[in-house]
Amino acid sequence: MTLEAALGQVLSGISLGMVWFLIAAGLSIIFGTLKILNLAHGSIYMLGGFLCYQVTSAFSHVPGVFWLALLVAPLVTALVGGCIEILLLRRIYGLDMIYQYLLTFGLILIVGEVCKILWGAGYNTVAVPWPLNGTVNLFALSFPKYNLFLIGMGVLVFVGLRVLIGATSLGAVVRAVTHNREIAGALGINVPGVYTGVFMLGCWLAGLAGTLTPPMSVVALGADLSVIIDCFIIVVIGGLGSISGAFLGSIILGLTTAFGLYIIPKLAVAFGFILMIIVLIIRPRGLMGVSD
Amino acid sequence: MRSLVKTVIVLGLGFVLAGIPCANPAPAASKEKPIKIGFIHTMSGAMSMYGTSSEAGAKIAVEEINAAGGVLGRELKLITRDDKLSAETGLREAKDLVLTEEVDFLTGTISSAVALAISSYVEKEKKIFIVNVSQSSQITEEKWNPYVFRINTNAVPYWGYAPAIALGKTWKPKKIISLGFDYECGKNSLAAFKEKYLELVPDAQIIDELWAPLGTTDFTAHITKIANSGAEALFLACVYGGGEIAFTKQAFAFGLYDKMKMIQPCAGDVETWSDVKQGDPYPKGALATCRYPFWAIDNPKSKAFVEEHKKMVGFWPSYGAMNEYVAIYALKKAIEKVGAVDTEKLIKTLAGIELDTFVGPVMLRAYDHQAMMPNWYGIIEFTPDLPFPHITNPQIIGEEGYHTIEQIENLRK
Amino acid sequence: MAEIRAKPTWLHAPAIRSILISIGFASLIALPALIGKSWLNITIEILIMALAACSLNLMLGYTGLVSFGPAGLYAVGAYTTAILLARFKMNIVPAMIAAPIMAAIVGWAVGWVCVRRTKVYFALLTLAFSQIIWTIIFEWYAVTGGDNGIISIPTPEFFFSIVNSYYFCLAVVGCCIFTLWRIVNSPFGRTLQAIRENPGRVEFIGVNLKRYQLAAFILSSTFLGIAGSLYCVFSDSAFPDFAHWTKSTDMLVVCLLGGLYRFSGPLVGSAIYTILAKTLSKHTMHWNLILGVAIVLLVLLMRNGVMGFLSERLSRKKQARPCA
Repeated sequence: MTLEAALGQVLSGISLGMVWFLIAAGLSIIFGTLKILNLAHGSIYMLGGFLCYQVTSAFSHVPGVFWLALLVAPLVTALVGGCIEILLLRRIYGLDMIYQYLLTFGLILIVGEVCKILWGAGYNTVAVPWPLNGTVNLFALSFPKYNLFLIGMGVLVFVGLRVLIGATSLGAVVRAVTHNREIAGALGINVPGVYTGVFMLGCWLAGLAGTLTPPMSVVALGADLSVIIDCFIIVVIGGLGSISGAFLGSIILGLTTAFGLYIIPKLAVAFGFILMIIVLIIRPRGLMGVSD
Repeated sequence: MRSLVKTVIVLGLGFVLAGIPCANPAPAASKEKPIKIGFIHTMSGAMSMYGTSSEAGAKIAVEEINAAGGVLGRELKLITRDDKLSAETGLREAKDLVLTEEVDFLTGTISSAVALAISSYVEKEKKIFIVNVSQSSQITEEKWNPYVFRINTNAVPYWGYAPAIALGKTWKPKKIISLGFDYECGKNSLAAFKEKYLELVPDAQIIDELWAPLGTTDFTAHITKIANSGAEALFLACVYGGGEIAFTKQAFAFGLYDKMKMIQPCAGDVETWSDVKQGDPYPKGALATCRYPFWAIDNPKSKAFVEEHKKMVGFWPSYGAMNEYVAIYALKKAIEKVGAVDTEKLIKTLAGIELDTFVGPVMLRAYDHQAMMPNWYGIIEFTPDLPFPHITNPQIIGEEGYHTIEQIENLRK
Repeated sequence: MAEIRAKPTWLHAPAIRSILISIGFASLIALPALIGKSWLNITIEILIMALAACSLNLMLGYTGLVSFGPAGLYAVGAYTTAILLARFKMNIVPAMIAAPIMAAIVGWAVGWVCVRRTKVYFALLTLAFSQIIWTIIFEWYAVTGGDNGIISIPTPEFFFSIVNSYYFCLAVVGCCIFTLWRIVNSPFGRTLQAIRENPGRVEFIGVNLKRYQLAAFILSSTFLGIAGSLYCVFSDSAFPDFAHWTKSTDMLVVCLLGGLYRFSGPLVGSAIYTILAKTLSKHTMHWNLILGVAIVLLVLLMRNGVMGFLSERLSRKKQARPCA
């Protein structure tokens, strides 16, 4: 393998990983604080994609419409998330895991069908926004600017979340509630409010990811199911509830996928699951433990 | 309050369950019994575009025929079912259509697994099944039975022989790398392409074969490997639909379309690029095959069909829509020739029948019940006169794209 | 929290029970004379799903082990029979007997790993293994037919008649469900329920938790294998989607719909779910939406399923409600 080829795979691996991280970050936060395995996370991501498409096509004459979509779509998905949390999830906290699993599975069906009714069954595209089209030449390797932007966004989201949760007073409240819900409530923290806020943040992140990926991909039905399993794998490998873990896990999975193409292409499909099982057996709390 | 709600729910459930056997009203005694056609396709999820489009094609044909008096005085009735891209569901719907709805014919399917399952079933039930999109060559070759007919071109010409022949007539690259979806269709397409191309250009090499799991939408890692491979040309094996759009965008962003010769079968099918506008990424300069180049077909019936389809579902017709249209008219022709809906006689009539298509008469080969539908090829450009990227200067590859009867005989042994 | 068993009512009186059960048996046996071919088809599907759901419920409702991957074992059973019949042209009897054996072996291997962990990790492990089984089936084209599955499986002439298939299914499913009923009402079964209620205490009194959980897993896998094998013979085919996680959710929904904490729950749930799925999906293109809403309502309002609801209504005294 030449140096150029290796560099190419490193960059593409990190790019793959960052896209996965953007999608999985929200799921990780939701599980960390609310202890809910939100199967519908992929559906919110898909909804974000459709909303991005809706904004960019409805206002296509507006210059910089993509950035408008980037602002609007995640806000809408956050609102949708808020409604879901208040109307549905509040009633099932503390119940057996199977009820959460089935309720969020029901949501997958509902959101998927609503997307089909609103936007139809075809493929929808979103253009790469100016000024991010074109490639950048790194050591005789050309890499698309937009992928570098995605890598940057992944890092930005990671740092932003770490700062938010780790260094702000709001973050302290979230950490308190994550650590011990009862005592936090006894101290006067509005625990239901924090739960709603965190869920909305998770959905906002899903919507953000859903808006960021269409320019280099496609908006279509079926994304909800295909994405959610990958998210689970990353969140498990990184450690349920750990953002740093999800970040690290995404990069590891991205790099192994990219280099796996050279080494053992046959195993590519099952690799994520095998890694997930190994982590769950050897170190179930994942790479970086339960809480950040 | 809660228990009241629960009671209502359970009672409601009870009524619905009790009412179901009574739900089907008795047929109108005065009219002649309609000829029922069971239509099974993927109407939800990732591939639903083809299902919706094919249904539109079928509906257009059915409406036209009924408006002109039906077939032998009887109305055609289309009953649509969703197979959810699952062979289990598709088979179940087929059974229900045959046993409960008592359909006279079955048609449809995009998934080859569904098509194979249904074709095995119709052999037992002795009903004709006409395939309009499913690609696997096994349907009309190894796993064929006389009750199965196929209108659409199959994976061998479309993904294999036709691109190979086209490539042999144009660029003739010596070092090719391939990327495909990792499933039966992908593997068989590459095998067919290799077989034909190496026959035409013996000193060529497929230097590497890359595979991505079915449904992948992020090909970044594959593209970097391809860019560094030293190949002159890239062949895409069975990468279509959403995955193809994603691949095109990513490859375009990497500048692959300028660096390498791209052989992208299926890029010529416009239904994928319906949404692409000038300035968006598209398979620039790629050698592509196409199954229904409606913009280049100067046939008033075809043009009317395109308009009607767009009105019905809001996007350009897929070849699946055209094939369903042809299939329904083929049934009409055969039934009128035989004079009755008699499956065994219809099979004999359909085998070898001349199909009326938008590109003139096409034979439905008697040996394997495969219609010799042509494949077109050309270089993709996005010229300003049309609102979508398309193949320019389309050339036809006809029967020579298909497996010969001898080849099929050998496979069936 | 499980619901406390209802106080005996007139419905539970032994005489009434025997009469009801006899009527039930009689109608099941007379069914082919009463309903048409397509409804008979549906009934066979109900029976097979009922067996699968009952097997799952042994783990889920009785032992408290939430598995997201029953479909994997179901598919192992189906493919074992399919491969033996189609590729090795074996006789149907050993081909069908091999299915639960193979499922039990795979269940033992998978279960041994999974019970090392609890709760959500256990569930995620079952999901991962189920998807690996799916991947193996999907990729191993030479043996399993890959994404095309195995079709036109040669079955004996006996099964060409739907009435014969029905009676065969009825017999097999009947025996299996009876066996499960005996298991659940045995000391072993009571221990499983105790493990569900309070694993710590059960360990304290000297019971080897992991061994019981693994046993439940293996038993559950065995009967899932039988269900898979039956479906393979009934439909003359086997497809990779038999192992997909969405098929597992179907089984989970059936258990929830009928009621997790009653033996009859999965049976009733299977009947309702199958009939609704087959009939409603014919009349609407939005079946997914209806199903999704139904599941949400079920989880929010009727957590103990139809049977749980019915027994609440029919018992004389008010019962302790599960924790809201």
